[in-house]
Amino acid sequence: MKVSLNWLKRYVDLPEKPQEIADALTLLGFEVDDIETTGLEALENVVVGEILDRQQHPNADRLGVCRVALGNDIGEKSIVCGATNYKVGDRVPVALPGAKLPGGFKIKRSKLRGVESDGMMCSGKELGVTEDAEGLLILEGSPELGTPINDVLTDSDTVYNLEVTPNRPDCLSHIGIARELAAWYKRRLMYPEICGDHPLEERPDGQPIFSGVAVDCDEDCPLYMATVIKGVKIGPSPDWMQNLLSSVGLRPINNVVDVTNFVMHELGNPMHAFDSRDIQGKRIRVRLAYDGEVMTTLDDEERKLSSRMVVIADENRALAVAGVMGGQNSQVKEDTTDIVLEVACFKPSTIRWVSKRLGLSTDSSYRFERGIDPHSLKFATDRAVELLLETAGGELCSNEYVVGGLPAWESEVSLSPDWVRSKAGFDISDDEIESSLESLELDVATSHGDWKIGIPSHRGDLDRPIDLLEEVLRMYGTHRIPSSVVAATATTRNDSPITEFVRSASGFLVGQNFSEAVNYTLRSQEEQTLWASHVSAKELALKNPISEDQTQLRHSLLPGLLETLKLNQSRNTGATRFFETGRSFREVNGKVVEMISVAFLECSESAFRSWNQVERDDFFSAKKRVEIIAGFAGVDLDRFSIKPVNVNNAAWQEGHCSEIEEPKAGVSVRIGLMNLSRTKEMDIRGEVMAGIFSILPERLRQAKRVKFSPFSLYPASSKDLALVIDQDEQAGNVIKTVSKIASKETKGIFDLEDVSLFDVYEGSKISQDKKSVAVSMTFRSMERTLKDKEVNKAFEAIQNEIREKTTYLIRD
Amino acid sequence: MEEELNSIVESAKRNVSAVNSRAGFEAFKAEISGPNGTLTRVMKGMGSVPKEDRPAFGKLINEAKTELQALYDNVLRSIEEAEIAERLGPSIDPSLPSYALGPGSLHPLTQIREEISRIFKQIGFTVAEGTEVETEYYCFDALNTPADHPARDLQDTFYFPDNASFGNVSKKEDERYLLRTHTSSVQIRTMLQDDPPIRIISPGRCFRRDTVDATHSANFHQVEGLYVDKNVTVRDLKAVLDYFFEQMLGKGTKTRFRPHFFPYTEPSFEVDFSSTHLAKLGSEWVEIAGCGMVEPAVFDSVGYDPEVYSGFAFGMGIERIAMIVYGIDDIRYFYQNDHRFLKQFA
Repeated sequence: MKVSLNWLKRYVDLPEKPQEIADALTLLGFEVDDIETTGLEALENVVVGEILDRQQHPNADRLGVCRVALGNDIGEKSIVCGATNYKVGDRVPVALPGAKLPGGFKIKRSKLRGVESDGMMCSGKELGVTEDAEGLLILEGSPELGTPINDVLTDSDTVYNLEVTPNRPDCLSHIGIARELAAWYKRRLMYPEICGDHPLEERPDGQPIFSGVAVDCDEDCPLYMATVIKGVKIGPSPDWMQNLLSSVGLRPINNVVDVTNFVMHELGNPMHAFDSRDIQGKRIRVRLAYDGEVMTTLDDEERKLSSRMVVIADENRALAVAGVMGGQNSQVKEDTTDIVLEVACFKPSTIRWVSKRLGLSTDSSYRFERGIDPHSLKFATDRAVELLLETAGGELCSNEYVVGGLPAWESEVSLSPDWVRSKAGFDISDDEIESSLESLELDVATSHGDWKIGIPSHRGDLDRPIDLLEEVLRMYGTHRIPSSVVAATATTRNDSPITEFVRSASGFLVGQNFSEAVNYTLRSQEEQTLWASHVSAKELALKNPISEDQTQLRHSLLPGLLETLKLNQSRNTGATRFFETGRSFREVNGKVVEMISVAFLECSESAFRSWNQVERDDFFSAKKRVEIIAGFAGVDLDRFSIKPVNVNNAAWQEGHCSEIEEPKAGVSVRIGLMNLSRTKEMDIRGEVMAGIFSILPERLRQAKRVKFSPFSLYPASSKDLALVIDQDEQAGNVIKTVSKIASKETKGIFDLEDVSLFDVYEGSKISQDKKSVAVSMTFRSMERTLKDKEVNKAFEAIQNEIREKTTYLIRD
Repeated sequence: MEEELNSIVESAKRNVSAVNSRAGFEAFKAEISGPNGTLTRVMKGMGSVPKEDRPAFGKLINEAKTELQALYDNVLRSIEEAEIAERLGPSIDPSLPSYALGPGSLHPLTQIREEISRIFKQIGFTVAEGTEVETEYYCFDALNTPADHPARDLQDTFYFPDNASFGNVSKKEDERYLLRTHTSSVQIRTMLQDDPPIRIISPGRCFRRDTVDATHSANFHQVEGLYVDKNVTVRDLKAVLDYFFEQMLGKGTKTRFRPHFFPYTEPSFEVDFSSTHLAKLGSEWVEIAGCGMVEPAVFDSVGYDPEVYSGFAFGMGIERIAMIVYGIDDIRYFYQNDHRFLKQFA
């Protein structure tokens, strides 16, 4: 909201500099977005001087040396000047050494072509008041010598663009802001005085012009006041009013419209004047619009109305969209003589809805949306009538038409000064609390530590002690709230398991030379279906996306990482390893779940060639990384079965990828080579090896404390076994089976420490549909060194068991 | 006898230079000390030496053995050295660059988030997390946001279709699902689950229906804090934020509260800081956070008695802090992931 300093000064004395007032407004809670100065800025050391004579400069044809009188306090100065438009005896603005002109130009005593100059005589442009840079600004009316220039050129103004928070509708006016400043500076607020006295019985009868108001929808329009003025003469409004309206960005239109705008910005009450000739049937009806009803608003737009909108209508048609904008059909025109002035109160949510629906936000709708104090309507009407009679003439007619009642207003809040201090946490005296509240026009009745605070009707936002605490702090100055030492008690809980897990996984991947990327959570449907054909796009879609490329929740972090890789390749940054952590979303049994994901990828191709190649990720190094990451989440992936990714899954390269899906454990894993033709289509060079681990957040637990297990100090003994198995049998199963048999056969005798797989062979020595795997079993005892005999015996038993219970062939 | 020993040693000394492999060495050694070696033969002749000459003879043999052993050790050492040299190849050029892989790096947003978490942990705040998908109740209603508040508009907040169903995001009643616009929803869920005292921060992703430009992103990160206990005061809030900003932005950083309005706090403030460390900003006050005392209506919605407990809450943008701390002028850098950007924070 724009607020003019000149306008504010009508209601409160404000001798402070414009910047100081901006600071005060900021500390009152009205953030100043910008300050605009029109006319002359506040300048120091620029005063009125008179040119006493002019001598030719000895070294420059175009310069003159003037003797300038600056009044008794300053005396005379000698000033070099290049202008030619002046004559001796002219009075001009003189910038003395120390002055700082608009644009930052500093004046100091200096020599010009060898002649001392003790200041500068200024042009209009140099002062920032006109565009004239050619000659000196000749001051009319012979102002006193030595007078500060701001006292001579007084048509300047400062306009603040303020942010008024939604809880303060009472401050959407100059009087509201002035009230705050008066409270801040503890000065008197001067309301506009209404001196005109128009007793009802002396007024002419308005009946032939206008005969009444009916309100159909009293919930949307609880109070409506119409006043008739006849015989107005339309013309321009006075200069002072035009200047003030222009300063806050309003275009002066005519005296009647300008008064309605002026009072709205002065007191905060939107109002509207109708040309009474255009009110058919002489009656105003406040009603809901008809579906499909059409009217043309003042901005020349044809508006289609609907049945939730409220209109001000006559017997035939809508004349205005209530609280938003008037209609062209009834606006005040050059030949208007009789007007009906509307001052009303509309329901905020209705106006908000209408304004949004029509895409039409006006000064009026803005104020109604935030709420108008119904108790303010009468004063606003009187003020407007007075200004109308003053600026447009005419006569106020009898019969004020008022529909709707004034709600009773009596509001009192109990407050104890001790409570204020206990909530603030620092000392504020009783006197200070009392004067703070009183300066805001609250009525303070102090008695025995339990005060009763009367709240005026324009402060509907104050109804609890805590609301008053805020007012006390505002008046105290929130910048003065003292700091103190933090009263830190012990931390009462640990960081969330999610935080801890992500921290560990990220630290690990950073240590493996991966760079963390952050990609958008919202992805396009196209990308989503490209990389995860089985994802039901519908389940993850937003209702109201902002753009085509961000329509749904990400199913996986990998498409984002591929985009990251692609960008880095196209910019030749040389980077090949990226990871990301974050939330991913997937559908499980018709419901979408939010999972914690860690994903990484490595590309085989770097933009840089190096003399020394680093080993690249293959499937198994990626698998190792995923296993370690799973470990940070407390998950042992060995417990789950790992399968090749479904061949229909377009994201992965068939035969070089795998997945673990354990909905019960809330775990999902993908490892492998990203689909080569897809990455190629994306213009990604090289092969991309990737891994992603996802877990339901509720499955993450705080890490358990480790329990130490003792280990044997005796030597280990090992036995190797070569097994011929079916080609499609998973080696992982063989390890599991052998482990199971071996631990069974050694149970109670000694321990099976490890079963490892050290060779896989396919080739001419065995048949084509078979492969050979070699496993090594390590045995150890807690109590003794193992004897060959007992190990051999167990080994025999293990082999027998394998022959009996499995399809594996033992190779000799 | 003595001559014989001398000649064995002399001949060994002569021939040793030709020995240059392990196999050659073994053969060379066998010729002297092997079962049929020259030295072994002499030693076998010991039996025929008269008893009184034996000590002297023994001494001679020992001397020869010592001399030969030294010879063996030497030749073996040089063979091993040669083998190592061959295995290692030529000496390295230490000025050649190390591996082409750069160091890994945490994203600057993560680093700032972690730094914030660390500072708050020093004064007893721990990290709480919540879901990014939320419901209207936990994001707005429970936070005293009026039903027709503009923040709830379809214009400003991302919603999910009415029939959407999320398995691990609980609803209060039948309200709509949305993407959280702040992490205050984590505070509500934490208060519903635990009793005071509560001292948490909740960093995380948030979403607003903003068009992307240099300072806006539909996807952004926030950190919010909440402290609830008995007798928490406005001054405590100031103390905590002063501590945080001085740690985060450098000693001598000043903060200033300005009155403001939020539905979920009363009184509410915006926080400005000024810091001489961040030259770009000069001595101006720069807006950095919002805060206030928890609104009693919020306590009502989580079942805390506002007569017994009081508390404060605060919130700020992680991107904004990162931009100030690192001197980054465009928010989009954070989401492009250009490695030349990322590696600066390695």
